[in-house]
Amino acid sequence: MMTSMLQVLQFVALIAAFVALLELYLHVHFAHHDERWFLPASVTVVAGLAALLGRSLVLGVSAAIVEAAVALFFIHVVRGRHSLPFMLLAPGLLGLGLLIVYPLCFEVYLAFTDLKLTTILQWSRTGTLPFVGFKQFVKVFTSSPLSEVTFWRLVLRTVGWTVVNVGLHVAGGFVLALLLNRDIRGRGIYRTFLVIPWAMPQVVAVLALRGEFHSQFGFVNVMLARLGLAPVEWLTLHPFLTCTLINVWLGIPFMMVIILGGLQSISRHYYDAAAIDGASAFQQLRHITLPLLKPVLAPAVTLGCVWTFNNINVIYLVTGQAGGTEDADILVSALYKAAFTYYRYSYSAAFAIVISLILLGASLLWMRFSKGTESVYG
Amino acid sequence: MGRRLRDWATHLALWTACLICVYPLLRIIAVSLRPGDRIISTDLSLIPAGATAASYASVLGGTHFLLWLWNSLVVTCTTAFIGVCLASTAGYAFSRFKFPGSRLGLTLLLGTQMIPAAMLLLPLFLMIMKLGLTNTYLGVIIAYSVSSLPFSIWILKGYYDTIPRSLEEAALVDGTSRFGAFWRVVLPLSTPALAIAFLFNFTQAWNEYLVARVVLTDALRYTWTLGLFELQGQYLTQWGMFAAASLMVTVPVLLVFLYSSKWLISGLTLGGVKG
Repeated sequence: MMTSMLQVLQFVALIAAFVALLELYLHVHFAHHDERWFLPASVTVVAGLAALLGRSLVLGVSAAIVEAAVALFFIHVVRGRHSLPFMLLAPGLLGLGLLIVYPLCFEVYLAFTDLKLTTILQWSRTGTLPFVGFKQFVKVFTSSPLSEVTFWRLVLRTVGWTVVNVGLHVAGGFVLALLLNRDIRGRGIYRTFLVIPWAMPQVVAVLALRGEFHSQFGFVNVMLARLGLAPVEWLTLHPFLTCTLINVWLGIPFMMVIILGGLQSISRHYYDAAAIDGASAFQQLRHITLPLLKPVLAPAVTLGCVWTFNNINVIYLVTGQAGGTEDADILVSALYKAAFTYYRYSYSAAFAIVISLILLGASLLWMRFSKGTESVYG
Repeated sequence: MGRRLRDWATHLALWTACLICVYPLLRIIAVSLRPGDRIISTDLSLIPAGATAASYASVLGGTHFLLWLWNSLVVTCTTAFIGVCLASTAGYAFSRFKFPGSRLGLTLLLGTQMIPAAMLLLPLFLMIMKLGLTNTYLGVIIAYSVSSLPFSIWILKGYYDTIPRSLEEAALVDGTSRFGAFWRVVLPLSTPALAIAFLFNFTQAWNEYLVARVVLTDALRYTWTLGLFELQGQYLTQWGMFAAASLMVTVPVLLVFLYSSKWLISGLTLGGVKG
């Protein structure tokens, strides 16, 4: 335990040192780009360091070429402008580049090769993989990512999952927010209790609720038995319904809080004026509340859709154990299982790219659609 | 006449909703208090007959629960620290400067939130494996460290936007550098936002399960989420221990959330609206 703590501390120190070095490098490039010694000095230092650290002449030469290009860029294009914002951004950008951009590029490479459990040894020894073209992409559409469920079934189920969940989140959140927005006693206490599903650690909530759907000892079936009804095999026969129920329970509070914030920002005067004109409660809801809520609701629904589409947690925690069912899987949870239960790495990379293209297409459509409605409401 | 009836109906509806929200938590408490021979039963009472704290004792003494908590704490604190450091300067750059790519950069940051977690995890896992960092704190820390960065940058940018520029200008007149104005004036004023960003990073990493599942396979390295999954098992055999452990994790998280929710929500809306 102590050694791993030391490792962590070393790591943090290493990052700090690296950031310092990066900032020094940038500072020199921003501040001294017009000095006469700048180009030769920077190329020499970088090439020398690369050759020394890498112990190879080739590396030194290529570093010299890259550094010459960078230095010329700083001399002729950047010319010392915007130095502070870029120096402030550099560490974060580098982190994002190393841990998001590079992995995504690697994923694309992976999708065109063949990495699976049988070729992983070769990869870790030689670092190269056979190129297989679009084979993995063809497999995404023709073979099952798990053992039975097909790609198209997963697409359909994902659409259903997203629509049903977000719909119920918004509907439930809207009703609760309307109730909480009324002038009654104890609103703060109600609100506190109502956000508990959101505040609980999701792993605890999902695992506990999964226990409650246990066929014999879970609350749901015990309750059904007391009412004289037959027990339901929730986890084995209706896993999708179970996951949906759990996820609806989890997601309503977030929407409720967002919508409540929106409701509270609507001035009373609108309703007073409408009441004087004789508008019914429904008309007030339709013509005052909903249009004025739209700026709050639209981003929340967009965010909710993306989160729900990408939600692995609930489905994996409910069905993820060995021998788990495939009847609740959506695209992303199937992707997770294909990669880390079935170890089909290259296939999963292609699958991931297809999924993200679907998500991208859907969000472009959604943006056009919401632009369209915007112009209608003007 | 209608008014009182309406109020009663409202209270009734809210009471029902609260009960649905709180009941699973009450059930966890009930199960955690059950005595050893009646842990698996169809009993629904909230305080079971013969209630004991035996499950708590056995989860603390008989499992690695404390070690798992410690593992989580190390990973989470390091992650949140790195995340806030990186976000604090980046957010400032986006808030105060117009530079080529500043608008595009902010949009791309939001775009990263659309990337499915499983999609990023696969190449990250392979990188971690190749570096020999599976089953180490570092592997998880690396995987976590930038995942909340885009959102933290947005929160902090939104907060910096609300700090009047005249404060920095005054500092500049007094002779500090541009960076000095950020470091000595803006950063101290932003403590609440930094705290929220830290808390956000912290809770994200603290409650994370899927990455840890892949990177950590040794039970001595587990974070508490993995340990809890193990405890629940498939057939509820350790239901009492699971419930006790759940409750011990949940209570502090709940308190922190309830305490900070006002801040967190204002941070959410600030970041969202000010775009």
